Amino acid sequence: MVDRPTGIPEDAEIASTGGFNKFVGPLYRLKDLEDGAVKRFAFAAAQHHMNGSGSVHGGMLMTFMDTSMSRTSRLISDAKGTATVSLTCDFVAPAKLGDVIESRVRVTRRTRTIVFLSCELVCGERVLMVGSGVWKISGAEG
Amino acid sequence: MSAIPAKLAGYRETKLIDPFENFVGPIYDIGEKLERRYAFVVDERHVNLRGVIHGGMLMTLADMTMGQAAWDACDHADVVTLNMQSQFIRGARQGEIVEVQPVLTRRTRSIIFLRGDFMVGEEIIFSCASLWKILGQD
Repeated sequence: MVDRPTGIPEDAEIASTGGFNKFVGPLYRLKDLEDGAVKRFAFAAAQHHMNGSGSVHGGMLMTFMDTSMSRTSRLISDAKGTATVSLTCDFVAPAKLGDVIESRVRVTRRTRTIVFLSCELVCGERVLMVGSGVWKISGAEG
Repeated sequence: MSAIPAKLAGYRETKLIDPFENFVGPIYDIGEKLERRYAFVVDERHVNLRGVIHGGMLMTLADMTMGQAAWDACDHADVVTLNMQSQFIRGARQGEIVEVQPVLTRRTRSIIFLRGDFMVGEEIIFSCASLWKILGQD
């Protein structure tokens, strides 16, 4: 058994298996909501995620959002790979040490080559960040 | 402090305060105030399983460098990121050096507009436009 940070459910799967995600992680995948329409991920804010003002660093929040949305783009497209083309993040409220931060990702549209996604980061019901972005499905023509 | 890479002779290591920035850093800079140019060496910590820099690392680098410029633009008042728009144009691989010179688009009493094109050699790999709030200013 892997020790879970406080607030991460026992049935959450590890979503950070290698590379930069593993370096900044662990990141977890939570159960879907709304019959799969909302994909969810989570991490617990640790000391190395913080900025000098006692809030979670914006770079870590954007990294978590990018990973959540990238993973969702692959889950829904059956593609071998997808790549972030564009991402816009609004920093709505700060997160603190020990907060369990959850992402909720929705698919706006999927074409043959492109996935449009939106995402909210929340701590409980408090919204921390909202984002929208465009992913390219690799291997698709055009 | 680590040694300055040979390709970045003349640069100094940027002083970082935030634990997350020290965790992913270092970064280097050359020049003074808003003329500062920043450089970052992609290493094995920063790449995904395909050996290409993670988008999150690029956005973190954008937040770090635009944040330094925002700080320089308001005489080191407290600033926070309000918004970051990012375009991922190409990949960068382990060992490559990513450079940016932030551009101050506008500074109002409470908001700073900054943008940057991130280069590997002569090619733009990533571009950002960001908004910063100067705390304590209405």
